[in-house]
Amino acid sequence: MKRVVVTGMGCISALGHNYRDFVRRLMQGDGGIGPITLFDTEGFMVRIAAEVKGYHAGDHFEEKQLSQLDRFTQFALLSSREAVADAGLDLKGPLAERTAVVHGTGVGGQATQEAGCKRLFAMKEKRLHPFTVPKLMPSAGASWISMDLGITGPAFATTSACSSAGHAISVALMMLRSGLADVAVTGGAEASVTEGTIRAWESLRVMAKDTCRPFSASRSGMVIGEGSGTLILETLDHARNRGANIYAELSGFGMSSDAHSLIQPLADGASRAMNAALDDAGMEPGSVDYINAHGTATAQNDPTETSAIHAVFGDHAAKLAVSSSKSMHGHTLGAASALEAIASIAALNKQIAPPTTNFLEPDPKCDLDYVPNTARSMSMNVAMSNSFAFGGLNTVLLFRRFTED
Amino acid sequence: MNDSIEDAVLGIMAGHMDLEREKMTPATPLQDLGVDSLKMVEIMFELEERFDINIPDPENVGQQEQQFRTAADVVNVVKGLIEDRKNTP
Repeated sequence: MKRVVVTGMGCISALGHNYRDFVRRLMQGDGGIGPITLFDTEGFMVRIAAEVKGYHAGDHFEEKQLSQLDRFTQFALLSSREAVADAGLDLKGPLAERTAVVHGTGVGGQATQEAGCKRLFAMKEKRLHPFTVPKLMPSAGASWISMDLGITGPAFATTSACSSAGHAISVALMMLRSGLADVAVTGGAEASVTEGTIRAWESLRVMAKDTCRPFSASRSGMVIGEGSGTLILETLDHARNRGANIYAELSGFGMSSDAHSLIQPLADGASRAMNAALDDAGMEPGSVDYINAHGTATAQNDPTETSAIHAVFGDHAAKLAVSSSKSMHGHTLGAASALEAIASIAALNKQIAPPTTNFLEPDPKCDLDYVPNTARSMSMNVAMSNSFAFGGLNTVLLFRRFTED
Repeated sequence: MNDSIEDAVLGIMAGHMDLEREKMTPATPLQDLGVDSLKMVEIMFELEERFDINIPDPENVGQQEQQFRTAADVVNVVKGLIEDRKNTP
């Protein structure tokens, strides 16, 4: 089977506008959760989010382009441009059609959808902007990445709520293994800090009012984040032939579905996804050193994920470092698996486990080592990244420190 | 007046649980009636809409489990919030 490696990364999130800032703040435990500034939260129960701060679309795009770019697409483009530049790839010429784009999103153009609804139903206008449809479609991100970077191979979006990017990366991995492409631009983007989305999340009563405290007894729920993460995947042969810098090997993926509930997670589904990833990579549970947990800080997820980890790892569970970087960049939904994959790769490269910040006191139902509040230097070869989405759609990615043999 | 609120709350709860209204008594533990957190979220939505109130979220997930043990707890919270609304100018 062809080996697949990561040769480029790009991201934009509450932890800054690029990979370098993301990793620095991640390892410093310098979180990006704060009061919502994108709209007036007067009368809202939920008033915090992990927004992309200091962002001016005009710095990156021309005014004419912006009429076609929802905020989620802008983020998808920026992280993809950074990742391709980071990989030092020239996608013009014959490589263009040997490159795939698989970029996920949970919702897509939410801000565009809401602006349209406001015009129609509140302002009683009769017309919508002509680009409303192409701007809000969930595949707009993948389309724009292909256009912006001149990629002519297969391109599409995946959607599975909080596992959207995990499915994107998994599918991209399969495409490279099968020989369908040599390079893939993959990940996910989301821009859901909008009035409608926050109102909808409020009604589910799973949202924190203070901050995000994964695995902590006094956690009060999740915090919505926004952003995008993009990985450049390449077959090892292709990367070697061009002398590319290799960040890590994507050794395996696992997917499963709970077949249980749209909202409540099931430990069995999570365990099966982790086991599937280990099987795919041909690894024993004991070889995993670090897990970037799904860790949403809801009442349901954290104990369920903890018991799933126990079921998969047995005695080794106690030796694992398990952290949730959502405590810093929030739950970025369709971008989550991508940003957290990047956090996992950064952990391998720096040999530092990022912390679970805002951790106050342990929950008896969550009894693993969550790397509370401070990053930890440790020796690690294998990192696992978990995503367990609403609707019971699970993905798990396994990254290994790259070695030639 | 208060009794009619209790009656309405119990009626709404019974409706969500496919229970006959007569079997919905204030003292029965909600867990025994099969009310999980999802069902409770739907019930709270309907109560907020019906009575024009906002039921606050508990401080943390520990308190969440304690918030509503019986239907009587739900009735009391709703009555309190209706009272608060009346007293707010």
